[in-house]
Amino acid sequence: MEDVTLLKNGIKKMLVDNLMLQLKPEEIRDDQPLFGPGSIGLDSVDALQLVVALDKNYGLKIPDPAAAKEVLQSVNTIAAAVQQTAK
Amino acid sequence: MRVILVTGANGGLGQAISRDFLNESKENFVWLGVRKAIDKAATLASEFPERCSPVALDVTNPSNWQSALKTILARQGRIDVLVNNAGRHRDGLLANLDTAAWDEVLSLNLDGVFHGCRAVLSSMISQRHGRIINISSLSALLAPAGQTNYAAAKAGVIALTQALAKEVARIGITVNAICPGYIETEGLSGWSSEEKTAAISRVPMRRLGRPEEVASAVRFLACSEAAYITGSVLKVDGGIL
Repeated sequence: MEDVTLLKNGIKKMLVDNLMLQLKPEEIRDDQPLFGPGSIGLDSVDALQLVVALDKNYGLKIPDPAAAKEVLQSVNTIAAAVQQTAK
Repeated sequence: MRVILVTGANGGLGQAISRDFLNESKENFVWLGVRKAIDKAATLASEFPERCSPVALDVTNPSNWQSALKTILARQGRIDVLVNNAGRHRDGLLANLDTAAWDEVLSLNLDGVFHGCRAVLSSMISQRHGRIINISSLSALLAPAGQTNYAAAKAGVIALTQALAKEVARIGITVNAICPGYIETEGLSGWSSEEKTAAISRVPMRRLGRPEEVASAVRFLACSEAAYITGSVLKVDGGIL
């Protein structure tokens, strides 16, 4: 399995565990929106927890709401940001 | 180990709250947030050297909060309870109240609580557990003449408490406020005996409250049995309201 697939699976598990979602990690599509229509139904409190969890688990710092809006779109965008941080 | 930070820990109420936590359990470690005066906090810390330490903290200064949290997290890696207790009043009729008195009271009593909550939240979110107890005042509910600044700030603390409680409830963090009435602390030290007598006459219990009685309420809101209480405002006032 490629590293990026492992990373995305890890992010999905983190989402489910930290936000106590009533979903299985594999039910979240890589490109599925996290917020808004057609999303997995996160809200602003989830975003708050997610920012803390990403810092704790991946060292990904999201400094402001603009960055959060960009990074927290989907598993794909989070994975890209984590990979960018790791470089 | 439960890690507790009490602001305004050199004052009478802060001392009582800190001592109460220290007496509650040997598993409690209490950080005494202090600004200028540190004599009483230092005495308390020397009494419990293994479980109590002062930490420099001007609650109006966000970078001070960051430094204090850095110190706490470096030593214990967590923060379980924050008691936002620091505060003071500068009374006067609004017509004569200078802007500095307004700014100082709002900054210390309300901004300080905001900065404190912000500082501990990411740790508490990460832990999925935390207790924030904000010391408001009966003045927030009575809005007495001569305390427009103090009453507004303390009412703001109640509103902040209730709004924040809703924001973080599902994460396992509770946020509650306590409204002490007339308590025998340095806050009453400038009162004449006639003023104290007049105050007591307004208290159905016909006595002033003791700092320890406020501390007991703080300890309750911080205990595990209070896990389902959040956004509440607990009066400790001898029945005034």
